[in-house]
Amino acid sequence: MTTVSFVVPSYNSARTITSCVLSLRNQTYSDVEIVVVDNHSRDETVARAHAAGADMVITAGPERCAQRNRGARDSRGDIVVFIDSDMVMEPGLAAELVATFETRPELGALIIPERSFGEGFWTRCRVLEKSLYVGNESVEAARAFRREVFDAVGGWNENLTAAEDWDLDDRIRAHGVQVGRVDTFIWHDEGKLRLRGTFGKKRYYGQWIAAYLDAHDDGSRRIRRSGLLDKKGDLLRHPILTTGMVTLKSVEAAGIYAGMRDARRERSTALPVAGA
Amino acid sequence: MRILVLTWRDLAHSAAGGAEVYTEQVLRRWVDAGHDVTLFAATVPGRPDEEVVDGYRVVRRGGRLTVYRAARRWYRENGIGEYDVVIDMVNTVPFKAHEWITDTPVIAFFHQTAEECWHYNASLPVAMLGRYVLEPQWIKSYRGRRVMVVSQSTADALARFGVHDTVILPEGFEPVPLPDVQKESAPTVVWMARLVPYKRPQDVVEAARIARTSIPDLQVWIMGGGPMLEELRKQAPEGVEVLGRVSEEEKVDRMARAHVHVATSAREGWGLVVSEAAALGTPTIAYNTPGLKDSTLAAQGQLCPPEPAALAAFLVESLPKLQQTRVEPLPYGGAHSWDEVAYEMEDAVIAFLDSEDRLMARPADASFRASEPLAVHDAQLAGAR
Repeated sequence: MTTVSFVVPSYNSARTITSCVLSLRNQTYSDVEIVVVDNHSRDETVARAHAAGADMVITAGPERCAQRNRGARDSRGDIVVFIDSDMVMEPGLAAELVATFETRPELGALIIPERSFGEGFWTRCRVLEKSLYVGNESVEAARAFRREVFDAVGGWNENLTAAEDWDLDDRIRAHGVQVGRVDTFIWHDEGKLRLRGTFGKKRYYGQWIAAYLDAHDDGSRRIRRSGLLDKKGDLLRHPILTTGMVTLKSVEAAGIYAGMRDARRERSTALPVAGA
Repeated sequence: MRILVLTWRDLAHSAAGGAEVYTEQVLRRWVDAGHDVTLFAATVPGRPDEEVVDGYRVVRRGGRLTVYRAARRWYRENGIGEYDVVIDMVNTVPFKAHEWITDTPVIAFFHQTAEECWHYNASLPVAMLGRYVLEPQWIKSYRGRRVMVVSQSTADALARFGVHDTVILPEGFEPVPLPDVQKESAPTVVWMARLVPYKRPQDVVEAARIARTSIPDLQVWIMGGGPMLEELRKQAPEGVEVLGRVSEEEKVDRMARAHVHVATSAREGWGLVVSEAAALGTPTIAYNTPGLKDSTLAAQGQLCPPEPAALAAFLVESLPKLQQTRVEPLPYGGAHSWDEVAYEMEDAVIAFLDSEDRLMARPADASFRASEPLAVHDAQLAGAR
């Protein structure tokens, strides 16, 4: 039987780790391995991951790409799936991943569509935004890999902490591997989104986006998000949310820009390098 | 030990619920163990101002809003010097007994916080005032004090308001005898709660509508009375039966016949209905909300995002396997016996008194753990099964 290994990097994820791990434990497919790689959380993350049924909780850092590579190395599955600690998986996901890889031998990696949920107005704007990305190849990136494919491209780029999913997806495609998709959803728990918080987070990520763009000639197609306008009908149906979403994206864009500027300003000293 | 419990309503109140059952189950065991217990609550029409119930004394004064002031007056006139410990049961509006009882230690008990439930139970201005002004102030007055809770969720909620010294007590449950029934032949979902907006029965109807496109023979039973009954009956698509209030016997029977129980409440202290279902061999898919997440984890169920579309997907993907697998009834549905709850709460109170350095004030002969009636209870429980 094909084993599916789910690798979950975590850091102070006590709020979400229980439902994340529990949703993996309750997959209808039985041969599932759950590996949580915790980066020295100061909260209850590790205890709750164990309580919810994780097979292995490893402590490792320093950033999520290194955590994921470590989890992949220590797991034994033929299929490796990378999950974030604030995600909840539908029960049929592992079964569909296995069935798709079995019937489509030409595919080396699979995209899993995502939906957001959470509390408050800005979260509802995010839910609308994410719904527009489903099926948009410039935004979505593969999360599930045949182990040999993942190993062949050398895993995650540990020099990136944002845009690392596009980086891996790009390298996989450059390696000549076909990427397919499944229909079962991942539900992304946005919690309660706040504008100020999102600006700070994007500013932090912005510096790695700069590094990603430097390493990938056509990388900017990922950032432009022209896909947002592909489903105009959805936008017209929700005028208030659409306005909110534009505000949210503007604040995020400003954050990313600020972060990229920070990174380029430090170019002469120590900047994050995309050593792909 | 002489114990005074302050609560806004007792079990005789027409709207009494899980929190009142909890108190009552603990108190009657404490009385059996030799404690001297007084329960103070609001008046109940048709019930005396003072009576003895299951061995403990019930004192009733004041109404829904005046019970808090009435408690203060009653204690000043009758309570001073009479008790070794006071337990302040907080149900949204607190007694803040620690501010006006100075002669004896006071420990608080929170079943749950209200928070977003304000929006389901009050008009918008009142809800905003309650959720963002009053309740935070009320909870913050318990900062730095020892507080007992029934779930990690409530402990987490209190921590957000700066109340960190919490002791998590187990939830209690008395299993009923298993009914002699078979699972249904059609895939069957059961839901059971009061039909009020914050329990979100409308989400179950919506999820059923979506799920039936993939499972045409899906059968959904919605049990419970409440103000939304007629509206839900009108909305219910084919396959969804809104049964209204059912007898205890029918409730147990249907819960045991269903393949899965779903729970959609916005917030609970624990979510006992999940334990009830698990004790009958019916697993739960619950919204990942405070309280439900605790009982569902303990009952080995599934947690799903609080969205009808997610609930529908979880049902569609899980039901085929649930129909094939026989799920054994879980002892106490993942909760605990009331005897255990009574010990644990007594332990928590004694540990609190020790920490308050008031140990000497407590008569040493009234420990529940060492007492005779324990064996009697075990025998009663064994007989009940």
